[in-house]
Amino acid sequence: MPSQPLPDHRAQQTPAQRSDDPRTAAAPSRRTVLMAGAAGAAVLPALSACGGGDASGGTEGGRLRVGVAGGSAKDTLDAHKATDNTDIARVYNLYDGLCGFNPDYSIEMVLAESVEPNDDATLWTVKLKKGLKFHDGSAVTADAVIFTLKRITDPDDPGSTAEQFATLDRDGMKKVDDLTVELPFTAPYVNLLEVFAEYGVGIVPEGYDPKKPVGAGPFKFTEFTPGERSLFTKHEEYWREGEPHIDELEILNFPDETARVNALVGGQVDAISQLPHSQIEVVKADGNLEILDSETGMWLPFTMRVDKKPFDDERVRQAFRLIVDREQMVKQALSGYGSVGNDMYSRFDPAYNDDLPQREQDISKAKKLLADAGYEDGLEVELVTGEISPGAVGAAQVFKEQAKKAGVTVNLKQLTSTEFYGDNYLKWTFAQDYWSSRNYLAQAAQGSMPDAAYNETHWDDEEWIELINKARSTVDDDERNKILKKAMKIEYERGGYIVWGFVNTVDGFHKKVKGLKASVTGHPLTSYGFRRVRIEE
Amino acid sequence: MTRLILHRLFYGLLTLFVVSLVVFLATQALPGDAAQAMLGREATPERLAALREQLHLNEPLAVQYGSWIAGIFTFDLGTSYAANMPVVEHLAPRVTASLSLMAIAALVATPIALLLGAYSAMRRDRAMDHGTSMVTLILAAIPEFAVGILLILAFATGALQLFPAVYAGRADNVLNDPSQLVLPVATLVIAVSPPIIRMMRASMIEVLESEYVQQARLKGLPERTVILRHAGPNAIGPVAQVIALQLGWLAGGVVAIEYLFRFPGIGLALMDAIDTRDIPVIQAVALLIAVVYIVVNLLADVVGLAANPKVRVSSR
Repeated sequence: MPSQPLPDHRAQQTPAQRSDDPRTAAAPSRRTVLMAGAAGAAVLPALSACGGGDASGGTEGGRLRVGVAGGSAKDTLDAHKATDNTDIARVYNLYDGLCGFNPDYSIEMVLAESVEPNDDATLWTVKLKKGLKFHDGSAVTADAVIFTLKRITDPDDPGSTAEQFATLDRDGMKKVDDLTVELPFTAPYVNLLEVFAEYGVGIVPEGYDPKKPVGAGPFKFTEFTPGERSLFTKHEEYWREGEPHIDELEILNFPDETARVNALVGGQVDAISQLPHSQIEVVKADGNLEILDSETGMWLPFTMRVDKKPFDDERVRQAFRLIVDREQMVKQALSGYGSVGNDMYSRFDPAYNDDLPQREQDISKAKKLLADAGYEDGLEVELVTGEISPGAVGAAQVFKEQAKKAGVTVNLKQLTSTEFYGDNYLKWTFAQDYWSSRNYLAQAAQGSMPDAAYNETHWDDEEWIELINKARSTVDDDERNKILKKAMKIEYERGGYIVWGFVNTVDGFHKKVKGLKASVTGHPLTSYGFRRVRIEE
Repeated sequence: MTRLILHRLFYGLLTLFVVSLVVFLATQALPGDAAQAMLGREATPERLAALREQLHLNEPLAVQYGSWIAGIFTFDLGTSYAANMPVVEHLAPRVTASLSLMAIAALVATPIALLLGAYSAMRRDRAMDHGTSMVTLILAAIPEFAVGILLILAFATGALQLFPAVYAGRADNVLNDPSQLVLPVATLVIAVSPPIIRMMRASMIEVLESEYVQQARLKGLPERTVILRHAGPNAIGPVAQVIALQLGWLAGGVVAIEYLFRFPGIGLALMDAIDTRDIPVIQAVALLIAVVYIVVNLLADVVGLAANPKVRVSSR
């Protein structure tokens, strides 16, 4: 999740599930007995292909049915308050923002024609594309942009990205003409485009009412029941030529992953998000189904508090990083659906520092560092873990085993997600967490600066902070990236995170669904990009 | 008999009161209070304090309990934290959906189970009787969600894709596409039937051996009349209790089944509410299940009494 600092912890909690292959099960013909209950019941629901009218190939039109992980009675269609996976899926399809992330995490202009800063990035000028239409037929104008930003930053009822607009002078926003707005900031804001690309910044018309949501996204609102499902229909005046291809989009909530997989295998949905690792083989084995395996920037770090014993000694932190056999951890905790990390986040940032050598397991060096730090007789630590994300507990268990070799005894303290994010969250000495794809500056603002909301390692390195502050006001990309590379090197050398790997997102879909492609944003199903999809019968 | 019913009614209400107390205290004992659970990572001290104030979490437990109980009598079960609407409104379509599912299961299971039981009794010690006996024993031992999973494997996602694996429609019109109900109903039927079949068989055997049935036969009545007029009605009496127990179980058992089949009823609402610590909804659903259980048992008592002349007379 590139933008959402509050991903849905609940949706990630996955109940134990079966791992057997349905195909191996016998199918006795007890049907007659079972049928007695529902005599005359129709067999298999027909794919409800409405409209379209294209008799030749059926490549345009039809209804796409998608099962998305999570959802609850809390579900909302509010453009600026999405928290759960199902909310995010819906928001992506109802609304378009000024910018957006491409599947490779580069930024594209969406509703905006251009978004340009002044010399010190304190004044940004947004120019909208011409002829854009909201779902109700009204034009997308400068007023809508101002209204949207005011709504997000409303101090009485802030949107989920409000904090990232903290330096916006919301009363100073100026409409230059119908399609142009000037946005003044009280401090330089060099990575504003990233914020505009997030799903929580969808442009809405003046007078927007989340109960009857109107946006400029590829689909418009038709039906919605929180905790259950939604039905959207094609926005005929969508700005992208020829998109969306399908007429209707139905998004169904699936809190239970077994039900989600069953619905896909049984043909009741055409695609599902977040296939559990244990079910990947089941889907692969089915001739009608395919998986979408996407590398992402989502990371599941171990967090060491740099202000607490024993981690206040940077030698201990380095030793712990050297204890980890990253390949093994990816293989065991993520069933191989992930890639190795190098104790740095933001792997898709153009500034990402590739020059630093990949850290590998080195037990003797780790032992030596621990001995130098005064722990030659071994060390005992408590690791706080929990089902905060698939793979977290597995990673903790693997770490416990790997640490033994270095004479470190790790005691696991396993909590429920609610307890983990309870009163002691951000206070654990040695714990875990998970974070979505984000570029370096944005992540630093969330998790590593002293004033960050989630500085779980209590990282407070003067030299590093100075670099970040300098980067924040450096408008030139190359210049800024050089500074950020230096900051990354510092975190690589003495930071409090063990970034052992990045998690892949694996989705499943029916072969007839065309157009989905791998995306590194960390949001399933090409960032729920159903505008790209065609259904080929 | 009226006195007896009133007597039972009184105990039913007493049980309900105890259940309400237990439900209330149990929801209070969940780790972390509702405000904490709802805010999660966003929980700053100020926001926590504000939310606790808003949810009346600072008031003494007795006061919170009192206002909850008072609300029940006016059909006001509070406001769902998660759905942000009255609990009654939030649950209404789900209750209807669950009741539909349960009613269909009950309507299917009861006659089938009674017939199978009676038939087994009449074919006592023949192959069909032994077969039924063994199958019911095995089915009774398998947990209902396992039955559900097996049915899904067999009829939805495996080689035979006859029925939908999950419910993919809306809560307010579950009868719209009956094919989606086949597997959940079948699971419930398989889960509730075995004890009814076994009880009916035992009861029927006893009745068939009784003197009045022998008498009826000796009188030369056709076997049909003997079974339908004399044996059957008398055999059902004792079974009514078991039927009631099983139907009462439905109210609770439906939770796991709904989760498995993604059926939008009270079970799914309950799981959802537990996840989001939506305490008013948890309390309402738990209480509702208890009410169904108690009412069904009360009805069973009445049926049992009505079917048994001895009790009917002696309790007067």
